[in-house]
Amino acid sequence: MFGMFRITNPLSGGLLWKIPWKLSTPQKLRQRRRLRAVDNVVATVDAALAKQGETLKALERWKEEMPTEAEMLPKDKYTMFDRKAKRYRKGIHRLPKWTRVSQRLNPPGY
Amino acid sequence: MSAYFRITLHRSAIGLPKRTNGVLMGLGLRKRNQVVFHPVEPQFAGMIMKVKELVRVEAVDRALTKAELRAERRPDPGFYVERPRAEAQSGLALAMATARASGEAVAEVEEVRL
Repeated sequence: MFGMFRITNPLSGGLLWKIPWKLSTPQKLRQRRRLRAVDNVVATVDAALAKQGETLKALERWKEEMPTEAEMLPKDKYTMFDRKAKRYRKGIHRLPKWTRVSQRLNPPGY
Repeated sequence: MSAYFRITLHRSAIGLPKRTNGVLMGLGLRKRNQVVFHPVEPQFAGMIMKVKELVRVEAVDRALTKAELRAERRPDPGFYVERPRAEAQSGLALAMATARASGEAVAEVEEVRL
């Protein structure tokens, strides 16, 4: 009953997905807010530097390459490319530390 | 004109790569909700870009002191002490009387009243 051989769902042979297949609506809302927060930080830093007449390579590159939250497709906000997944997509919440890393771009065509 | 970044650590870097933690140490951020000020320079902007998912940034005119930050966090006491009008006026009258007696700066006291 207890200990190493206790009866749990995974041990009784049932298939149990511990990670839900897709994000819930509030999770998606928070994800959008996090994306916007990062956009805000980038915009603030950019405006402050521009006022001083300075530029930053990393910042220019980010602005050129990365879409803002409003420009992103829902597909890219909530899922990411995975070559092993069915239809080449998996939920973004399967990415380790997904709430604290930026994952915005996916291979074109997928 | 000097300008500063007001940087607040919003998300902890626990479990993130050592370099991320190193950047936070470099910025002087040790715990969540800690606030630091750094001048607007490409060097600090680059550090912020490295940890942009973890911090919140504002551009401000000057760096606040520790005491000012503390005063900012102090909650509203929810009350204020009312002083009787007579007391306030008598204080002013007394000031004017002493000024007249010493023969100077009556105009200054008048200005204070205005």
